[in-house]
Amino acid sequence: MSQPNNFVVDTRPLWILVLQRMKQPVLLMIGVGLYVAVRTLLVATDLSPEGHRALAVFALCVFYWVFDVLPLMITSILAIILLPLTGVLPAKEAYALFGSEAVFFILGAFILAAAMMKSGLSGRLALVILSRFGHDPVALLRGIFILNATMSFFMSEHAVAAMTFPILVEITAALHLPASRANYGRSLFLAMAWGSTIGGVATLLGGARAPLALGILREVTGESYSFAEWAALNIPLTLSLSVAAWFILRTFFPIGTPDVSKAEQAVDEKLMKIGRMTLQERIIAVVMLGTIATWIFFGEHFGLANIALAAVVLLFALGAVEWRDVEGYVNWGLILMYGGAISLGSALHKSGAAEWLADHTISSWASGPVSVVLMITTAAVMLTEMMSNSAAVAILMPLSIAVAAQFDLDPKMMAPLVAVPAGLSFILPIGTPANAMAYSSGYLRVRDLILPGLLLHGIALVIFNCLVWFYWPLFGFKY
Amino acid sequence: MSPNPGLLKLDLAIRGVSLDQSLRNRRDLFHEPSVRGPIARCLELVLPGEVLVSAPADEAFTADSPYRLTQDAKGFYLETDGERSEVGIVAPPSYYRKKTRAGTPMWRVGSSYGPYIAINPASRCAFSARGSHCRFCDVSNQGVDRTEPISVEDVVETVRAAFADGAIEFVYLHIGYIEGDDSGVQFIEPYVRAIKRHFDTLVAVQLQPPREDRWIDHLYAIGVDAVSYSIQIHDEHLLAEMCAGRVEQVGRQRYYDALAHAASIFPNGTVWSDLIIGLEPAESTQSGIDTLVAMGVLPVLSVFRPLSDIDLRDHPMPSIEDVAPVFTHLFKRVLEAGINMNWVRDLSFAVTPFEARFFADSDTPIPSGLGPLYRSKLGNMAVRNLSKLRRRLRVRQVSDSYGSSNL
Ligand code: SF4
Repeated sequence: MSQPNNFVVDTRPLWILVLQRMKQPVLLMIGVGLYVAVRTLLVATDLSPEGHRALAVFALCVFYWVFDVLPLMITSILAIILLPLTGVLPAKEAYALFGSEAVFFILGAFILAAAMMKSGLSGRLALVILSRFGHDPVALLRGIFILNATMSFFMSEHAVAAMTFPILVEITAALHLPASRANYGRSLFLAMAWGSTIGGVATLLGGARAPLALGILREVTGESYSFAEWAALNIPLTLSLSVAAWFILRTFFPIGTPDVSKAEQAVDEKLMKIGRMTLQERIIAVVMLGTIATWIFFGEHFGLANIALAAVVLLFALGAVEWRDVEGYVNWGLILMYGGAISLGSALHKSGAAEWLADHTISSWASGPVSVVLMITTAAVMLTEMMSNSAAVAILMPLSIAVAAQFDLDPKMMAPLVAVPAGLSFILPIGTPANAMAYSSGYLRVRDLILPGLLLHGIALVIFNCLVWFYWPLFGFKY
Repeated sequence: MSPNPGLLKLDLAIRGVSLDQSLRNRRDLFHEPSVRGPIARCLELVLPGEVLVSAPADEAFTADSPYRLTQDAKGFYLETDGERSEVGIVAPPSYYRKKTRAGTPMWRVGSSYGPYIAINPASRCAFSARGSHCRFCDVSNQGVDRTEPISVEDVVETVRAAFADGAIEFVYLHIGYIEGDDSGVQFIEPYVRAIKRHFDTLVAVQLQPPREDRWIDHLYAIGVDAVSYSIQIHDEHLLAEMCAGRVEQVGRQRYYDALAHAASIFPNGTVWSDLIIGLEPAESTQSGIDTLVAMGVLPVLSVFRPLSDIDLRDHPMPSIEDVAPVFTHLFKRVLEAGINMNWVRDLSFAVTPFEARFFADSDTPIPSGLGPLYRSKLGNMAVRNLSKLRRRLRVRQVSDSYGSSNL
């Protein structure tokens, strides 16, 4: 039986609805028109025929990604089909890029996260942390922020938010916070969303966009990052942004002094219910800790994907997980999306289209490395608010690598330069699933977040650009 | 005999028809009142102007009827005051004689009335279980011997047989009162979904208002094309006296609120409410008509008949003089409000605003209207497809909204 809440009847005038429904076919046609226009009308004598065709495929995919015309992964599949069909890449090569290490790293990370969620280990961790922190309203709020941020170091921020969300729903219900005017309710869900977003940029595990950026980087330049290197580069941003976000949260949403003893009680009750740690949880915890240590200390030697997949095999060998447990938790669509995006990025580079595009856009507008970095980071932040952050990375990475070469910047720096700001979405629900969940709580409206979100974006851009110029050189980047 | 088909329908509905000796034993002409309430053992007559009426016959109160049904080699005739006019008889469809695979006689599942099949799949109206049933109702009594609801399979088989007979165009599901926040929406959902899955037809549903409006949205979303929350009696005190269950379990105001919400969700002219004419003063019924029309709801009037197995069996019948002005009022008000009269029409046991045009004042312009178009096969198909299109445009699943931020 379907639930009544599952339906919404739109009572706006029918002509508006008709126009809205016509949007998708119209956008599909515009995308095709764009493809045809780039192929037939764009005069680019300095571009190879393959580059010309790759550019047309890229234009089509960017349009579909930006306007959400097709699901992201379907657009990626379209790219994979079109690349060989238009003669940009041989079919064998286009499909082989699905075998990118980044894709398998993501797969491994998903399965490990699934094991943590399914066994209840991640939920237990969340409850234990909350029971330690949650004695007064501010401490509880801080606890939720820190919990989400730190857990996003080890799991995708999406999974962390999904895990915290039901706990917060119970806490707000226990506190009887009215959805319409409860700053405390707003703060709790915002601490969840912003905490996981900010924590999610710290390591390669926090979001799938970083491995995607690494995948494209590796395909195009052969370079990559170790787990520890990436974390060391980005943890200062996470720390400073956490402080900024905390102050913004406290300033824009003053919470008074609500009595949180009921919330504490709810958390304690949940903890009582789950009982002692099971053997399965212990095994998963040990394997997880071992995996993270191996990523940090032997990541370069063994390869990130190899370590992730070896950990997965170990979990199965020890009987700690079953396939059906993880099957539903793995975002197979994302894996398809990545295969396509990496193929497209590689095709743009090999055909010279990325370089040509960079020449005619960022390179011609920018006056030097400083403005290049500023443009790329600003574009990443803006794009990620409007679309999936993976799509933003897929669009910007090939272009940025080409721009780097033209401004004598190390192309390796382009992976964090694109992937990190592309993970910082603080306002709109479409930006990241953590935001979407916070909005679905009913406590937040978009207008509540415009000013604080913009402020946080501004601060994030300033801090990030400062780190790029003053901190990143410690890692060997020269400008 | 009155030449006005509307008046004739009304008069026949009130007084019934007596049968010529030669027709007395023609059981094949009778429609058994297996499902719907305020009707007696009836003949389904088609009057001049294609007006359908469910005329009681063979009931105690029809013995004195001035109308007499006769037959000759050419057809059936209605005789009164020495005048005779030809009428049609809708014979009970052949599916009444069939059984479902589970062995249920199909006449117990559904009854054909004009262009639709009426089905009450529920067991017993919860008002009657609480002893607070409507006093003019006999549906509540009929449910007593059915402890289990009719199965979805039996309903589908019966509807299939009715369509195969060519007996119907659409399906009308009605239940009394089912306790709960949804007042039976979840109960009726599998029937609606199954009918929509198997047949390209319109589905109308009559039930009691749910506590929350979201269940009304739900009803529309699952495929219901027309809905009725029937208030029956507008007068507050009389409603409490006649229908204790409606007032105590649902609340009078909730009927109107639910109707107003339904009218904002369903297409124009597909939300209706029955009002019984003859139990309350005509002014009160007129005021009920005004209230309903103001919210975009179509009032449908059924004339009270003192059937032998209802509490009000001794209540006097209304006279034609009393009720005719109410129909004039009905047509005028619905016309002024611009409510589409073509959806809910051709009901044999009640008078719809579409049929109330026969009572229009000489100064009320009667639009040539879309009636014939709606009745045609092509028109019917267009209506069905427009209804589907409208639903596709209007209904969204909440889970769809998360789609865009999944990655
Ligand atoms: S709601 Fe009233 S009229 Fe309908 S079945 Fe129940 S008692 Fe009868």
